[in-house]
Amino acid sequence: MNFELPTLVALGSIYLSLLFGIAYITERGWIPQRVVRHPIVYVLSLGVFASIWAYYGVVGSAQREGYGYLANSIGISLAFMLSPLLLRPLLELTRTYQLSSLADLLAFRYRSPWVGTVTTLVILVGVTPLIALQIRAVADTADILSPAASHGSIAVGFCVLITLFAILFGTSRRPGRTQHDGLMMAIAFESLIKLFAFLVVGGFAIFGGFGGFDEMQHWLLSQPDLLGSLEDTNYFSSFHVMALLFFSAAVAMPHMFYVTFNGNAGRGALSFASWGLPLYFLLMSLPVLPILWAGIHGGSTVPVEYFPVAIGVAFDRPGISLLAYLGGLSAASGLIIVITLALSNMCLNHLILPIQQPSASKDIYRWLMQRRRVLITALIWAGFAFHYLPSDKISIQLMGTVAFAAGLQFLPGIVAILYWPQANKRGFFVGLASGVGIWFPLFMLPLLSETYSFSDIVINWRETAALSLIINCLAFIFGSLYFGSSDEERSSADLCTLDTIKRRKRSGLVAKSAGDFIKSLSKPLGERTATREVGQALKDLGLKKDDRRPYAMRLLRGRLEANLSGLLGPSIAREIIDSYLPYSIVSQHGSSDVTVIENRIEAYRSNLSGMAADLDNLRRYHRQILLDLPLGVCSLSSDREIIMWNRALEEFTEINSADVVGSQLSDLPEPWLTLLEDFIGEDIDHSYKQSFELAAAKRTVNLHKALIEESGETGSNEGLIILMEDMTETEILEAGLTHSERLASIGRLAAGVAHEIGNPITGIACLAQIIRDEYKDSELTGLAQQIIEQTDRTSKILQSLVNFAHAGTNKLMHENERVLISECIAQAQTLVSLDKKNKELQLEIDCDAEAAILGDSQRLLQVLINLINNARDASQAGGTIVLAAKSMGSHIHISVTDFGVGIPNAIKSRVFDPFFTTKEAGEGTGLGLSLVFSIVEDLNGNIDIISPFDRTRGTGTQVLLKFPCYDPQPAETSA
Amino acid sequence: MYIPRSILMLLVIIYLLFLLTVDWINAADELWYRPFVVAFIVVLVARWAHRDQETDEPE
Repeated sequence: MNFELPTLVALGSIYLSLLFGIAYITERGWIPQRVVRHPIVYVLSLGVFASIWAYYGVVGSAQREGYGYLANSIGISLAFMLSPLLLRPLLELTRTYQLSSLADLLAFRYRSPWVGTVTTLVILVGVTPLIALQIRAVADTADILSPAASHGSIAVGFCVLITLFAILFGTSRRPGRTQHDGLMMAIAFESLIKLFAFLVVGGFAIFGGFGGFDEMQHWLLSQPDLLGSLEDTNYFSSFHVMALLFFSAAVAMPHMFYVTFNGNAGRGALSFASWGLPLYFLLMSLPVLPILWAGIHGGSTVPVEYFPVAIGVAFDRPGISLLAYLGGLSAASGLIIVITLALSNMCLNHLILPIQQPSASKDIYRWLMQRRRVLITALIWAGFAFHYLPSDKISIQLMGTVAFAAGLQFLPGIVAILYWPQANKRGFFVGLASGVGIWFPLFMLPLLSETYSFSDIVINWRETAALSLIINCLAFIFGSLYFGSSDEERSSADLCTLDTIKRRKRSGLVAKSAGDFIKSLSKPLGERTATREVGQALKDLGLKKDDRRPYAMRLLRGRLEANLSGLLGPSIAREIIDSYLPYSIVSQHGSSDVTVIENRIEAYRSNLSGMAADLDNLRRYHRQILLDLPLGVCSLSSDREIIMWNRALEEFTEINSADVVGSQLSDLPEPWLTLLEDFIGEDIDHSYKQSFELAAAKRTVNLHKALIEESGETGSNEGLIILMEDMTETEILEAGLTHSERLASIGRLAAGVAHEIGNPITGIACLAQIIRDEYKDSELTGLAQQIIEQTDRTSKILQSLVNFAHAGTNKLMHENERVLISECIAQAQTLVSLDKKNKELQLEIDCDAEAAILGDSQRLLQVLINLINNARDASQAGGTIVLAAKSMGSHIHISVTDFGVGIPNAIKSRVFDPFFTTKEAGEGTGLGLSLVFSIVEDLNGNIDIISPFDRTRGTGTQVLLKFPCYDPQPAETSA
Repeated sequence: MYIPRSILMLLVIIYLLFLLTVDWINAADELWYRPFVVAFIVVLVARWAHRDQETDEPE
């Protein structure tokens, strides 16, 4: 059974075009986002790890090592199952700082562009065999299916197609920030095809190769060697090393780093992959043994690795062979595309950009894209060239192991990123040099040289891999301890290490606004790019362009560095940021970014347990106390940056915490700036009754301050805490009480004066009566009569004054009697007319003459006077107030109506509260309506306020009092 | 170092399962798929262990 080469080429072209189509429609948004971003797509795209090595190589591995072939699946599965230990923290780091490759990550952590360069070079050399083996496997399997075809021409054709595809989709969008959704969908589809093909071939192996499951079992029992190889699996030597190789590959191999951290679709995807990817590899591992056995059973003569393709040939099933070939093509193309994209980024950021950078006048994005395309092409063709080098005797499994062993050399450096803050670049270099020093001569050279083969080496490759790792680790540890870390390395260790949440230094920036940022970055990047990057960073952070808070500026600087890091690599990005956006002041030791620390703790909160969780709860409890304290709390750093602005202060100042935290004190608006600056400048810790104007109203506060000392260091100044106590209402209450006292004094004085005036008035009246009675002169008697009338009137006024002054002084003394409402209203009219404020007042009275209630006339009088005065205050000058009293069935309705501004809805519910007033301090006590309410209740009545009275105009207020009608029977009974 | 309890339990379960089943897996007879049964159990345990880990992932 032979295939024509054009058939295989057409199959490959159609398949790759299908991938092209999937990526294209994804990029165009024709596939719903819920599908594109589904965690299953992420899991399947991670299936890129199952390359030729896992597709063909494992069959050979199963023959030699029994169940040992599962080590690769177990290694990668463990990395994802234990993702909270390694992958998840690294995902957070790569997301936060836009680190798109392992070289970026290591250069960021160890603060050296050389770390990135060396990492890139080692990986470049290390993974070339991996690219080469994909090309070789595709060409080899094509050879099996079409023996007449030239091996070289198949490899060339495959590389051409793959190069085009990688360039078209890998660099079709702006680099650095895109999620490459189209590429991820295409890779996921490839993984699906690969899995489907492998399962179908496995199924065929059982049912086509043996005739069924039972037949296969029966055949297997007759093969003691095969069963023996399964029985002899050594889980405690080679198995462990292989599992470790593949565990480290989850991060160290560029294609896995690319998909794991750049292809992550968002929250939940990694958790899904933590069991989804192991399930994928479990399914991929299932058909391996049946395929191996079917190949042996069918007497296939090709290398064992290619049994998936060969069993179709052996059993004369061309469809199965083509499907198996397609699966292999899928595995190879997926890996080559992703690995070359990832490597091109690394080479660009760490090999090209440090030497040559685009000038500010050029379109930086186009410049980067052009170079990336050239790199992708070069990498694929380097792999093509390399695939000729190793001898045919060297299996594809061994070629893969060489590449994975190179990745293993980065494991100590990667683990130290999260778990060892003392690690430094010198230690990293020493460790890597030691590991690579063993890997290169004992792994890479035998691959290249016919005369220097693996069999010549005394120790086997697994022991060599383990030895290189151990020596690497020891050299890394001793190197790091011996050389020590620089400040920069310690700073980046603080950012990366999980164990410690250390303090970051907080510093001021020379650039004070987004505009300054654009201006500064225009020099290295050009104005267009700088504007675009600053705009993007502001958008990422949700900041406004006019935000000038130092905290916001620091965040913007960090985000810009992260975004540029994704574009140009961390080393170049840091160089640009440090050079063009420098710090103006480096704050003293102890000055810390509390907000950053708190955010970091919050991010890890659900991971805290035991004492750490208790401490976190305690921290939150104390913080909540400060936030909810009914006193205004503002804490300042030693350089006067606002660290905390609690809720009470937000309400009092009407300044949101989010708008002010992170600002300098000097950025506060007036009057708060002057108030706080003056207080901080004074040599006192407490300042009472500080008054100031706010929105045309007088406000009064008490201020208290205290130095925040660094724990355990008396006298150190880590900042200042200021308490602000709003005394405005207390001040108003005190003024009201004083006013009430003064009014009460005036009332007592008036009563005394009225009493004293009463005597001479009585004398005058007596004299006038004598004149009227004793003299016959009609003119004189007329005048005397007028004097008598005026003195009577004066006496009534005085009596009313005295009565009013005494009203309410003793509740028990009040006697209920029949009160004629008309008399009471007339008396109220008399009294209010005495006030000069009421001279212009128009009182309209509409009263039933017989309307009467049971009560105390003086207290009702007090009610009416209070209501009339309130109505007067609410009315315009010369306004009209209507007093009405009507009998309504068993009740008397007394109403006082004005046509003033009405009562705002917001305060309606509070008008009867004691001391509530809308009048200026000193003008009203806030007790009037409260007293009215109390008296009306005492008189068995109730009170309603209708405001606005005129609903069409929205003006006027009517106070409606309802009392039971006077009923003589109960009154007499009660009497 | 903050390790979620469920992940610690997953580690312990995987280790114990390996120790308990290694001889059973290696018993050479027709039941060659035994390692996959164990692996499937481990995947189920991993699914359980990661059920509440999603909230800690960055967006």
